[in-house]
Amino acid sequence: MFLLLPAVAFILVMYLYPFALSIIRSFTDETGGLSLANYYKAVSLYGRDILFSIQVAILGTLISTALSLALASYIRLSESRVARIINSLSRLGIFLPYVVVAQMMRSFLAPHGLLNVLLANMGLVDIDTPLQLFNIRGLTFGFLWKETPFITFIVLSGLQVIDDTYIEAARSVGAKTRHVILRILLPMIKPTIAIAVVLTFCTIVSTFTLPYMIVAGNPTTVTVDIAHRVTYFGDYRVASALGVFLYLIVGVMAVYYLRRTVREEVYGY
Amino acid sequence: MWRKLGIVGVALLLLGGVLQAKVTLLYMTAGDINMLALAQNVIGPMFSERYPDVDLRTIHTGPGDAGSRLIFEKLRAEKSAGKETWDVDVAMVHQIFLSWVKDEYGDLSELLLPYAKDLDTWKYVTSPHAKYALGVPVEGYVMPMFHSQTAIAYNPKYVPEPPRSFEELVEWVKTHPGKFGYNGIKGGMSGVSFVNAWVYWKTGKYEKYAITGPFDEEEVASWEPVFKELKEFNKYVTITAGNVGTLDALNRGEIWMGPVWVDMFYTFMLTGKMDPNMRLVLPAPGMPGQPMYFVIPAKARNVEWAKKFVEFVTSPEIQGKVIVEMYNWYPGIDGTYVKDYVSPEAYERLYRDITPEELQVKGLAFPLSPYFKAVLESYEKWVIGG
Repeated sequence: MFLLLPAVAFILVMYLYPFALSIIRSFTDETGGLSLANYYKAVSLYGRDILFSIQVAILGTLISTALSLALASYIRLSESRVARIINSLSRLGIFLPYVVVAQMMRSFLAPHGLLNVLLANMGLVDIDTPLQLFNIRGLTFGFLWKETPFITFIVLSGLQVIDDTYIEAARSVGAKTRHVILRILLPMIKPTIAIAVVLTFCTIVSTFTLPYMIVAGNPTTVTVDIAHRVTYFGDYRVASALGVFLYLIVGVMAVYYLRRTVREEVYGY
Repeated sequence: MWRKLGIVGVALLLLGGVLQAKVTLLYMTAGDINMLALAQNVIGPMFSERYPDVDLRTIHTGPGDAGSRLIFEKLRAEKSAGKETWDVDVAMVHQIFLSWVKDEYGDLSELLLPYAKDLDTWKYVTSPHAKYALGVPVEGYVMPMFHSQTAIAYNPKYVPEPPRSFEELVEWVKTHPGKFGYNGIKGGMSGVSFVNAWVYWKTGKYEKYAITGPFDEEEVASWEPVFKELKEFNKYVTITAGNVGTLDALNRGEIWMGPVWVDMFYTFMLTGKMDPNMRLVLPAPGMPGQPMYFVIPAKARNVEWAKKFVEFVTSPEIQGKVIVEMYNWYPGIDGTYVKDYVSPEAYERLYRDITPEELQVKGLAFPLSPYFKAVLESYEKWVIGG
């Protein structure tokens, strides 16, 4: 019990205290009284951005998970050199910070940026009316670029501990590749996939740099709004209220994750 | 072997002692990354060369008001902790910093030292910004290091006759949809500046909003049509991603005109990131700009050295050679004292498109803090929202 104290104290002071403080602050007005004014302002000025954040998080998580599962399965099953090269290349993105990714995307996705110029040279777009990507499309693309390798990395580590005999056994009774993937491999690593999905979702919800640097105008993500409230207004109350919305969004995933962990530990499935 | 190590150890200890004897001046600076480079690579080494006993240690807190906010929070924390001496010796802040101090403590001297009039270089300061910052009387507490100004940058290839007023600008934008770009209000101050200029233009109440006050809720309520017109105007513009976003879009030819910071514009040009043919225009009734100030915390550890440092940077020589020549800012002290230290090309570059006389008339200040916040919130309510 005594030995636990430092760890527990650290969590209390560094995590729970600021967490509780931000919730309390979100319910207080200028005079320190209890009030819903911050929530009213948060919803009336930034309601659309809250929906936008949820939209981006769901879209980004779903697409990157689907891509990753396909990629990881391919790397696991293929013996070719190409698969090995793809495997190493895909890991590069994991180590780049979001600010670097954002800077790359800015020049890649711009109206006269690399992508549009490339497409224009191929005759696919007119450079005077280029693809506009400094919005949800570009933002989701940025998240995919960064998160797909991350999920692939986690999922692949799960796939690699599966013994080859399972795959061989399945094949010997006539299973096609897609059956091997969908019926054998993926079901065996469900918990790993769940962790990757939860982590990715939370990362997308909480990332600030990418939307701040990529999204032009509105709507934008809640994280950008929080920074805006603090920077220009010194207003931590509405910022905290916005933060509480982020807790709620992330909370859904946290509850799912915890239930899953408990179920596994208690019932073992 | 052990003896050698022992000797090395003793030598290191001695060296440590010698180094300790040097004064380390802690300088905290807000602003873009160029502010860090300025301190670390330019004025820090120059200052240490002049005064070998002092080392400048720079801490960069980040761009925009957020950077100043961190400095404010650091000083406030030191004060609340009741410390005898504070860590920060000298800081570089935006105007809004002064209104935060005023709002929090009522009296600037609670957090800051009134030092400016002790400096030899005080006599060169003529800017009105050294007396008032966003309506807060700051005389004696601040020394402006430079003044930066926003203006409209344009591409003369497509815009041979740039608009000289906001009326002409609106005309032009309507006939060239999508070719005027700015970054809204969440992506940096060049967009914020444009929106404030719009309010000054439409209401004609610059004096009240930026200089005399007082703050008046009814004024804010009367802005609805002003912002509805801006919303209408926005239908014809491209919203860019940030201050740099506007500059990049201009350079790539995506837009032909947009509000920029003059210093960033020229720095981009000098570093090859901007087409050198681009020009600037300051349309009537004008656009806001702001100085950045040196302040010394009330309980700074090395007050005398901090003063020497500020004096050094605000001397005509450094103002000319560094602030104007290298960084393309307008000097913090009166330009006439600086001219002798600047190459004719740099002087010409800075004052070619916007003359000192024009700057005097059309270089406006940002609004007083409550109006400033009201402008931003009105934009969120009436332009982004309804």
